[in-house]
Amino acid sequence: MNTRPVLEATNLRVAYGGNIALDVPRIAVRERELVGVVGANGAGKSTLVNGLLGWSRGSPKVSGKVMLDGKDMSRLPPHERVKAGLLLIPEGKLVFTQMSVEENLAASVNAPHDGQGRRHYSIDDVYTLFPRLYERRHHLGSQLSGGERQMLGIARALRLGPRALLLDEPSIGLAPRLVSTVLETVRSLVDSGLTVLLVEQNVRAAIEVVDRLVLLERGRIIAEGPASEMRDDPRIAEAYLGAHVA
Amino acid sequence: MNFTQQLVNGIVLGHAYALIAIGWTVLLGVARLVNFGHGQMYMLGAFVTWYGVSRLGLPYFVAIPVAMLVGVAVGYVMQRVMLQLTLKQDLVSIMIVTLGFGYVLHGAAALFFGSTGQILETPFSTKDIYWGDLWFTYQDIAIVIVAILFFAVLKYVIDRTRIGRLARMVAEDPQLAQLAGVNVRRVYLGVFAFEGAAVALAAALVAPRTPILTSMGFDEVIITFVVVVLGGIGSVTGSYVAGLALGLFTAFFGAFVSPAYATAAAFAVLIAVLVVRPGGLAVSPGGR
Amino acid sequence: MNSGIKTVLFAALAVIGFFVPTLLGGSGAVYAACVLIAIFAVMSYGLDIVVSDLGEVSLAHTVFFAVGAYTTALLSVSAGLGPVLSLAGAILMVLLVAAALGFVTLQLREFVFSLVTYAVAVVAATIAQNWDFLGGSDGLRGIPAFELSWLGFKARNDQELWPVAYLLLLVAIYLVSAFRRSKLGQAAMMVHLNQRLAVTSGVDPQRIRLQVFLVSAPITASAGWLYAYQRAYISADVLETYFLILMLTAVVVMGRRLLLGPLLGVALIQIQEKFFSFGGYVDKIILGSVLILTLAFLPNGLFGVVAPLRNLFIRRATPVGKTIPERS
Ligand SMILES: Nc1ncnc2c1ncn2[C@@H]1O[C@H](COP(=O)(O)OP(=O)(O)OP(=O)(O)O)[C@@H](O)[C@H]1O
Ligand SMILES: [Mg+2]
Repeated sequence: MNTRPVLEATNLRVAYGGNIALDVPRIAVRERELVGVVGANGAGKSTLVNGLLGWSRGSPKVSGKVMLDGKDMSRLPPHERVKAGLLLIPEGKLVFTQMSVEENLAASVNAPHDGQGRRHYSIDDVYTLFPRLYERRHHLGSQLSGGERQMLGIARALRLGPRALLLDEPSIGLAPRLVSTVLETVRSLVDSGLTVLLVEQNVRAAIEVVDRLVLLERGRIIAEGPASEMRDDPRIAEAYLGAHVA
Repeated sequence: MNFTQQLVNGIVLGHAYALIAIGWTVLLGVARLVNFGHGQMYMLGAFVTWYGVSRLGLPYFVAIPVAMLVGVAVGYVMQRVMLQLTLKQDLVSIMIVTLGFGYVLHGAAALFFGSTGQILETPFSTKDIYWGDLWFTYQDIAIVIVAILFFAVLKYVIDRTRIGRLARMVAEDPQLAQLAGVNVRRVYLGVFAFEGAAVALAAALVAPRTPILTSMGFDEVIITFVVVVLGGIGSVTGSYVAGLALGLFTAFFGAFVSPAYATAAAFAVLIAVLVVRPGGLAVSPGGR
Repeated sequence: MNSGIKTVLFAALAVIGFFVPTLLGGSGAVYAACVLIAIFAVMSYGLDIVVSDLGEVSLAHTVFFAVGAYTTALLSVSAGLGPVLSLAGAILMVLLVAAALGFVTLQLREFVFSLVTYAVAVVAATIAQNWDFLGGSDGLRGIPAFELSWLGFKARNDQELWPVAYLLLLVAIYLVSAFRRSKLGQAAMMVHLNQRLAVTSGVDPQRIRLQVFLVSAPITASAGWLYAYQRAYISADVLETYFLILMLTAVVVMGRRLLLGPLLGVALIQIQEKFFSFGGYVDKIILGSVLILTLAFLPNGLFGVVAPLRNLFIRRATPVGKTIPERS
C-alpha cells in the first residue's frame, strides 16, 4: 500500500476571534479510504473540513499545514485548492439556487487533467450516478428537495475532478431511508477509487460505511481508529447519544 | 412641439440612458456593488474621447477604444483598492469609497482638462438627417444601434457563456463560487473593469449630444439609478426597457413641461414607485 | 476612567478650546478658520450618528445643511426675524424635510437607501439653482449680521461670531454624547450590529432609523443656520458634493464613534485647505484620497494607527496579574 496519505494536515488550528475552535495535531486520509468524522454539535467537524480548504463563511484564523499528494496547499486560496483536486461540499447552502441543475453542473473551471488519481466525471457520468438529477436538469436549484441538493452538491464536486472529497453532513435533514442511500452512494464512490473525508452526525449509519472513524470533541480528536474497533468504544456511544440529545 | 419628433428624441434618449446604465446594471447584478463614481467616470470617458479627437487628432474610432481603455484602468484601480471591502461585503464603506473616487476624478479631470465647457464633435454628430419634418443626427442612429447590439451581446454572454455563468455564481454566493473553483477576486476586478469600459463607451457616444464639463456626471448617476432600480436591480433586459421608458418620459416632460426639471421629475416618479412598492423591485442575481 | 474625573477633564477641555483662536495668534484668518471648523464640525456631527451609530450612509445631509441655511436666509431677509427665531424655523423646517425623507425611505435598505438620499441631494441642487423663490443661481443675499439685541450682542466679524460658533459646537458634541448614552443610541447600535437580534428583542429598526434621522437632521441644519450668518449670503453651492465629502471624511478619518473624531477631522481638512492649499483641484484630490485610503486601508481610522501606541502605555501601567480586556 502507498504509504503517503492523499490528504494530510498537521497542526491544523482554527480560531474565531480569540476562541480556538479546532486544534488537530495530525489528520490523514489514505488512498481510497473513507474516513468518518463524528462528534456532537459544535465539536468542530465543519471547522475541520472547512479549515482543510482554508474556506469559511465567517472569518476565522486558520494555521497549520495541509498537504495533498505531498503538495503543500497551505498558502493557496480555496479556489486554487479546488483546482488541485481538494473538493468540499459544505454544510448548509451547497447549490446555486438561481441556476438550473444543468448550469450547476456545467464546468465552472477547467480543472487540469494532470493530477494523479483524479477522475474527471463527465456530465453523463454524474447523470448515470444520479438519474434523479437528469430528470430535474431544467429545474432551478431552489426547486430541489434536500436530498436532491445533496446529490447536486456531490455531482458538482465530481465534475471538478476530485482527488479528495470533503463531505460535510450530506445526510442532514434527510429521511432515515435516504440517509443510508446517500451514505451508500459515498461508499460506492470510494470503492470506485475516490478518497473521502465524511462528516456525519448519524454515527450508527456512518459506522456501517466508513473505514476509519475520528471522534472530535471541543475541537480536539479524542479517539480514532478502524470502524470495526471504534464500534465498541464507549466514547462513541457517548457522542452518539450527544448527537441525539441536541 | 411635434409629437413624432419627441417620440424620436425619446427613443434616442432612451437608448442613450440604457447605454449609460449598463455598466452599473452588471455591477449590481454580478457583484452586488454600487459605484457612486459612475457619473464622474462618464465625464472622464467624454473628456478622454474629446482630448483624443480634438487635441491629439485621433480619429473618432480610435479615440473610443482609448477612452474605454482608460475606463478599464480606472475601474480596475478602484476595485483593486476596494478589494478587501468587497470581499467583506462592506457595502457602507464601498459606497463612500466610490463617492470619494468620483470626487478625485473630478479634481483630476479639472486639473488636466481645465474647467471650461467643451464640445465633443464626431464625424456623425455634425451630419443631420431630415426626414419629413423630423430631425436627427447620424450620432443618434449610432447610439441606438450600439445600444441594441451591446444589450444583445451582453444578454447572450451572461446567459449562455462560461464567463457569464461564473459572474452569476459570484453574484449569488461568492463563497460557494470559491468552492466551485472560481477566482472570486478576478471576477470582481473584471466586473469593475467592464463597468469602466462600458461607461466610457456610453460617454463617447452620448456626450457629443451636449456640451461637456468636468463638473458634470450627477445627472448621469441619477438617470442610471432610476434605470437600474426601475428595471429590476441587476436585470439586463429590464434596464433596456426602463432606459427606453425613461428616455420617452424625459423627452415628453422636457418638451411639454420643463426641461430644467426633467431629471427631478424622473426621480419623483421613481420615489413614487419606491413608496408604493418598496419590495416589488426584487434583485435578480446574475443580471438576467 | 472615573466618570467624575472625565467630566472635569471635559469641562477643562471645553474652556481651553474657547481660547484656541487666541492662542493661535488671534488674527482674522485664524478666527475665520476656527468659526468654519466649528460650523463644519457641527454639520458633520449630524451625519456622524447616522453613519457611525446607525451604520447607514445618508447622502442627503447636504440637503439638511442647505435647508438650515436657506430657511435662515429667507426668514432673516424677507421676514426680518432674528437668529433665535430663524434657528427655530430652520429646525422646524428640517424636521419636516427629514420626516418626509424618512417616510419615503422607511422601507429601503442599504444601497437603495443611499441612492435615494444621493438623488435627493442632486435633485435639491437642481431645484435650488432653478427656483426663483430660493434666489435661483444668484442665491439669497443680504443676510443681516448675527444680532441678539436683548443681550446687546452683535457679531460683525468672525472674531465676534466665534463665541456663538463655539457654543453651537459644544451643544452638538453634548447632543452626540447624550445620544450615544441614550436608549435610542443603544438601539441604533443594536440595529447596526445585528438587525435580527434587534428585531427579536423588540426593537423596530425602521422606527429607530426614522428617530435617529430626526435627531441628526437638526444638528446638521443648525450648522447651516450659522453658516448663513457667517457668509451673509446663501446660494446653491451649499449643496455641492464638497460638503458631502467633507462630512464623510470628517466622520471616518479619525476613527468611527470617537466623540471628538469629526471635530478633529474637520480641523485637519480645513487647516490643510486654508493654510496649506495646493489649489482647489489638488485639494479635491487630496480630500477624496484621504477618504478612500482611510476606508480601504485604515478600518479604525488614523486613531486606530495611534491607539496601539497608547495601549503600550496602559499595559505598562497595569499591575501584573490583572487581565487586560481585549479591544474588540
Ligand atoms: N462563524 C463563526 N463564528 C464564531 N464561532 C464559530 C463560527 N462557526 C463556528 N463557530 C464555533 O466553532 C465551534 C465549532 O463549530 P462547527 O460548526 O465546526 O461545529 P460542528 O461540529 O460542525 O457542529 P454541527 O454538528 O452543529 O454542524 C462551535 O463552538 C461554534 O460555535
Ligand atoms: Mg457542522
